[in-house]
Amino acid sequence: MQPPIATADPILAIRDLKKHYGGKKHWTGAVSKAIRAVDGVTFTIYEGETFGLVGESGCGKTTLGRCIARALDPTDGEIIYSPEDGRDIDLATLSPRQLKPYRQDVQMIFQDPISSLNPRMTLLDIIGEPMVVNGLARGKEVARRVGELLERVGLRAEYMVRYPHAFSGGQRQRIGIARALALNPRVIVCDEPVSALDVSVQAQILNLLQDLQAEKNLTYLFIAHDLGVVEYLCDRVAVMYVGQVVELAETSDLFARPLHPYTEALMSAVPPANPRAASQPRLLEGDLANAANLPPGCHFHPRCGYCVERCRTEEPELREFSPGRFVRCHRAEELRLDGVAELAEAGA
Amino acid sequence: MTAEATTPVAPAPVATSDGVAVRIISPRRLMWWKFRKHKLAVASAIFLILAYLATIFAGFVAPYDPASRSRNLYAPPQGINFVDETGQFHLQPFVYGWKMTRDLKTLSPVYVADTTQKFPLRLFVQGEPYKLFGLIDADRHLFGVDEGYFHLAGTDHFGRDLFTRLVYGAQISLSVGIISVFLSLVLGLLIGGISGLYGGWIDNFIQRLIEAIIAIPTIPLWLGLAAAVPRDWPPLYQYFAILVVLSLISWTSTARVARGRFLALREQDFVTAARVYGASQTRIIAKHLVPNLMSYVIVTLTLAIPGIIIGETALSFLGVGLKVPTVSWGVLLQESQKVQIIQFYPWLWIGPAACVVSVVLAFNFVGDGARDAADPFSR
Repeated sequence: MQPPIATADPILAIRDLKKHYGGKKHWTGAVSKAIRAVDGVTFTIYEGETFGLVGESGCGKTTLGRCIARALDPTDGEIIYSPEDGRDIDLATLSPRQLKPYRQDVQMIFQDPISSLNPRMTLLDIIGEPMVVNGLARGKEVARRVGELLERVGLRAEYMVRYPHAFSGGQRQRIGIARALALNPRVIVCDEPVSALDVSVQAQILNLLQDLQAEKNLTYLFIAHDLGVVEYLCDRVAVMYVGQVVELAETSDLFARPLHPYTEALMSAVPPANPRAASQPRLLEGDLANAANLPPGCHFHPRCGYCVERCRTEEPELREFSPGRFVRCHRAEELRLDGVAELAEAGA
Repeated sequence: MTAEATTPVAPAPVATSDGVAVRIISPRRLMWWKFRKHKLAVASAIFLILAYLATIFAGFVAPYDPASRSRNLYAPPQGINFVDETGQFHLQPFVYGWKMTRDLKTLSPVYVADTTQKFPLRLFVQGEPYKLFGLIDADRHLFGVDEGYFHLAGTDHFGRDLFTRLVYGAQISLSVGIISVFLSLVLGLLIGGISGLYGGWIDNFIQRLIEAIIAIPTIPLWLGLAAAVPRDWPPLYQYFAILVVLSLISWTSTARVARGRFLALREQDFVTAARVYGASQTRIIAKHLVPNLMSYVIVTLTLAIPGIIIGETALSFLGVGLKVPTVSWGVLLQESQKVQIIQFYPWLWIGPAACVVSVVLAFNFVGDGARDAADPFSR
């Protein structure tokens, strides 16, 4: 799939989005330090593309996805959404009442196939409720459309009278997809939709997502930590580290030659397809930086193998390295980092 | 799993397009199947249902009126016999009458079975009149004797039938548990729900309040509150006062469970999904939170009932709860707080004590079974 960036219009523009937790004054007088889960993220998603968001656990990618779907209220920043009528609307500041018409356009698919479906509701209720809540259908019409959706995601229409406990993980994920499709959204935030599934089932779900995208001209924000999945599915990828985007590029460019040391480390951590190959991951030392107490300078410097004095004191900005490629590193020009091909060679 | 655990009670199979018959199994049915596997819980549930039925039809089940006196004071339980003194077998069970003598040293009555008096037992006998449900005049009793007397659990110092008094006492003791638990369900869901949904200082305040209430030892607090109930109130008022006193403390555990479940459910993805597709807060509470919360709350309540039954018994036993002429198991125990009763007429305290113990145990078993069955995610 070729990135349609040159021709496509932006559908979502995230501008300096922040989500901080805590940082409030306690009644005893103590002030807790804010946890900066998402700390000034900026990128643009174009209509019809699959935008990948990768990073290790706790880097804020799920929080960012939930802010964009407005399951969470962002602390600061803008989410500029362009509906089909051509206006630009900032979803970040709308009240729940004002938000309701645009809720339909941005839907979500969740990671956990168990907790994402209400165990006390039948599939008809689970998939039909979005339509009923938004006044899209009622009565028999709901059942008809739920049946269509179930068949579209590869399940049988008769299943609608059953409860979620009767389905396997992959089937439940299909149900979750059907629920997201119920409102005919334009953007779907996929929060690690396949990471809880078996590899064989993962492929089925990914293919289903691709087919649906082609059929309905969907735009995906695809959150993942599995780089293989991202390479397969995404047109462009943003790499996140403690709440910030450290690198953003087209998928092929990113995998061919990463610009940020963190991206290189992530790629080297992917286990090789050949189990006998001696892989030498460039393992990072230490843990993800504490989002409540970030290190000075570049947030990645305590774990970075290429760290120099400047990295310790001066915080790098996200800058455009070449057209469409963004990086948050002082040394992007001088470093010559290894892409997946070199890493595979080094391991062989 | 046995065969009968899977086959019955499922709804009629639904034919699908490919001809395969399937059954739709709701979470409720799954819970019921799981509960059924806990044999002890099922047996206890049946026992409790029978016990509650007996309290509803107390006049019918009890052979006498709780206040009517016989001439046999402190008579021990009469054994039911099928074989008479000559070794002959009778299909119809009978009891022997008592011959009373006095112990010449202590002057206490000593009863020996009088084999010349035989009272055959019958079902649905005509006996003392009573009002069914307090409304309908009736005089049929479930079992009894046409002539003579039958005291299954013995008699007390006025010659009142203890079995009858146990049945009537169950009306108070068992209903206290249910009604008070219902009160604490309402209070607990409401307060716990507010606490879990709003969070912040409201949550903090409610949780600290609950801790403060729990920190006070229960019995002294009950004693204090129960002692504040005016002693000249009619028995019905006293009963409700005791109910309120008991519920004032027991709502705390329900509130905590409700709060915890609200907090946990609020973070579940299906609630996030509902928020993302624009469901209102009321809808999320009614359709997504409360249905998933009820099974847990019901389990806590089942486990809370025995505590309340014991609470009522303890209060009455200590003399600050219900008082004579009201009959409850606690009152019966309180009446037998005398050395000579404990030593010479043990049936007077063994009866009510056995009732309390078996009901409390049964509730605990049912609660255990319900807890195992309640989790819809564990399969």
